[in-house]
Amino acid sequence: MLAETGRKAELAHAAASLKLAEEDLVRAHWYGLLGAVLRAAPDRARLDRLAALVGDETEFGQGVAALADAARAALAAGPETLEREHFDLFIGVGRGELLPYGSYYLAGFLYEKPLARLRADMRRLGIARAQGVHEPEDHIAAVMEMMSGLITGAFGHAADLATQQQFFAAHLGSWAPRFFEDLEAATAAGFYKSVGRIGRQFMAIEAEAFEMTA
Amino acid sequence: MSEKKKVAAIGRRDFFKKAGLGAGAVGVAAVGLAADATKAAEPAKSGPGGRGYQETAHVKKYYELARF
Repeated sequence: MLAETGRKAELAHAAASLKLAEEDLVRAHWYGLLGAVLRAAPDRARLDRLAALVGDETEFGQGVAALADAARAALAAGPETLEREHFDLFIGVGRGELLPYGSYYLAGFLYEKPLARLRADMRRLGIARAQGVHEPEDHIAAVMEMMSGLITGAFGHAADLATQQQFFAAHLGSWAPRFFEDLEAATAAGFYKSVGRIGRQFMAIEAEAFEMTA
Repeated sequence: MSEKKKVAAIGRRDFFKKAGLGAGAVGVAAVGLAADATKAAEPAKSGPGGRGYQETAHVKKYYELARF
């Protein structure tokens, strides 16, 4: 009970410091967290933190609980297993089981018009690809990170809801739900099954919330 | 904020709470976000809106408060 009160206070304080609504800070956290675990297999420290997540009785909360369970299983299996899983899913020899790129889902090939549209929006919004990154920008991890940054103002100033909605519709809502479904069903997925599930649920919640403001 | 926007904002907040992303389900906030050294995106160095990547106090604060 006390721990929960402490966490609520921590969230309220963090949101106030950043001049964000609490729900927007939570959204930004989930975009950032999903981006981070999709980009690379989480290390032990991150898995420890994921294993400490507590889910409530909502559907999303059950997904959170499943993610925590999956993190505990990954800890027990050891780092090589999870790294292998990430490799098999997303990188592979030539290609992974999945191709987590907007162009692939929307146009059937990499480096297609959806990437060009994303690059144009990135320019307009003041977002640049970081140095040393080689994948095209429409990688799911990068787009999730961009969404997190748009919410928090990491790229200059916090984007208003209309801007967030436009970005979501163009670069996430159109394909990320299908990607997360594919991830949940992927042969190589163990830990990442739970990432697919929570990602799918989160995208559905975001889409519905944006509908409310339309 | 206009009345209409206020009402809309409350609607969103309630919606997220009911969906499981409210203050009650703060597992993620407790876990936090870590400044990810391998971030793929950053503020543009030049062009419209970009002022060069300055690790502004605001950005630093976010990463301090956020540890995933």
